[in-house]
Amino acid sequence: MRSKGIGLAMGAALLVAPVWAHHAFTAEFDGNKPVKLHGTVTKMEWINPHAWIHIDVKDADGKVTNWMVECGSPNTLLRRGVTKASVTAGMEILVDGYQSKDGSNKANGRDVTFTDGKKLFLGSSNTGAPGDTPEK
Amino acid sequence: MKIIHVTLAGLGLAALMALPATAQKQAPAPRVADGQPNLEGIWTNATITPLERPPELAGKAFFTEAEAVAYEKQMAERNDVDRRPASVQTDVALGYNAAWWDRGTRVVKTRRTSLVIDPPDGHIPALTPDGERRAAARAADIRLHAADGPENRSLGERCILWPTAGPPMMPGPYNSNYQILQIPGYVVIFIEMIHEARMIPLDGRPHLPSSVRQWMGDPRGHWDGNTLVVDTTNFTDKTRFHGASENLHLVERFTRTDADTILYEFKVEDPATFTKPWTAQMTLSKTGGPLYEYACHEGNYSLVGILSGARAEEKDRQK
Repeated sequence: MRSKGIGLAMGAALLVAPVWAHHAFTAEFDGNKPVKLHGTVTKMEWINPHAWIHIDVKDADGKVTNWMVECGSPNTLLRRGVTKASVTAGMEILVDGYQSKDGSNKANGRDVTFTDGKKLFLGSSNTGAPGDTPEK
Repeated sequence: MKIIHVTLAGLGLAALMALPATAQKQAPAPRVADGQPNLEGIWTNATITPLERPPELAGKAFFTEAEAVAYEKQMAERNDVDRRPASVQTDVALGYNAAWWDRGTRVVKTRRTSLVIDPPDGHIPALTPDGERRAAARAADIRLHAADGPENRSLGERCILWPTAGPPMMPGPYNSNYQILQIPGYVVIFIEMIHEARMIPLDGRPHLPSSVRQWMGDPRGHWDGNTLVVDTTNFTDKTRFHGASENLHLVERFTRTDADTILYEFKVEDPATFTKPWTAQMTLSKTGGPLYEYACHEGNYSLVGILSGARAEEKDRQK
């Protein structure tokens, strides 16, 4: 019941969050398969309803596997100042997420971190997005 | 029903009077070319005000200005941290850290503590026995047939209809943006979430025959003074706003209260589902454009991922 207690403390707005996601992440990704991927971006797909980052991940033996990482809505990314120039081929990123239930090389990008330690898009409470504009 | 309308109008007036001074400083907007009051522009209803009043605010319909500021600050802090829920399932469900969402940072301008204004306790009325029966049947269906095929998945996942895009329009996780256009005889509401457009005729034509059902219902608009009233019926039995039946009768009211604000209110009448009608209200705030195209089918890999995930789980269970 520990999680329930914390959930209540977080407030109703956060409790309903999973219901409001575009799709059920719990149906697509597996909580028993957390992944931490260090890879090189091969491309980023700016598509609806969610953007996807593709990365090459090299294992200890030097074998390279391509992974797809699910991101947020492209509209939101753009409003937060993220453009096609923000994540480009050749960039190194660290992805912290969960692997898909079907076992393919897909994961949700719970956290996407650059090599300088900056987390993608995190850290601003006033993003300039609609609804965030300060009252005139 | 007349009495209820009068009461609501009274409540609306009280709410307007409670608007912060900054929201009242400008005169109501002028009219568009054909004489309709002007609602045109790009608007957002993103807000942290919840639909129903949180238990800790029971009996409190409005925040004071200081309380609203404190609540916004508290929510900003909660939403801005890279939180790790204690439960892994919750962590997976949230998808990403909070920065990927765009839920707004402000309470509604009326400073109400819930979007539901009637019943006055801020809660959606209880379901009727029939409403409960249908809800239970849906829950059982979801449990037994979670992902047999695409038809088992939600309308949102299938990019058919977004549950908050409306009607009625509710704040969603992102893309809670709307463009209102007024052309002679029509009001058009373009909804960014899954790029829907509502064409609302104002010429007094009757609703479609009851045999014709539409995902977003059949809207008819008229002006009540400076308020646009939109009456929508003819929903499908798959639209199901908060469990409503296809006989949902929705009445929305749009009132421009200043240059940057529309007071938006909707009344839900569905005796088959709710033990009494209920009304919600929020403010639409003017925001910068443009609206972006949200062509949901473009790369909806997640639906494939969900179905293939379900097949993989079935195989695991057979082992």
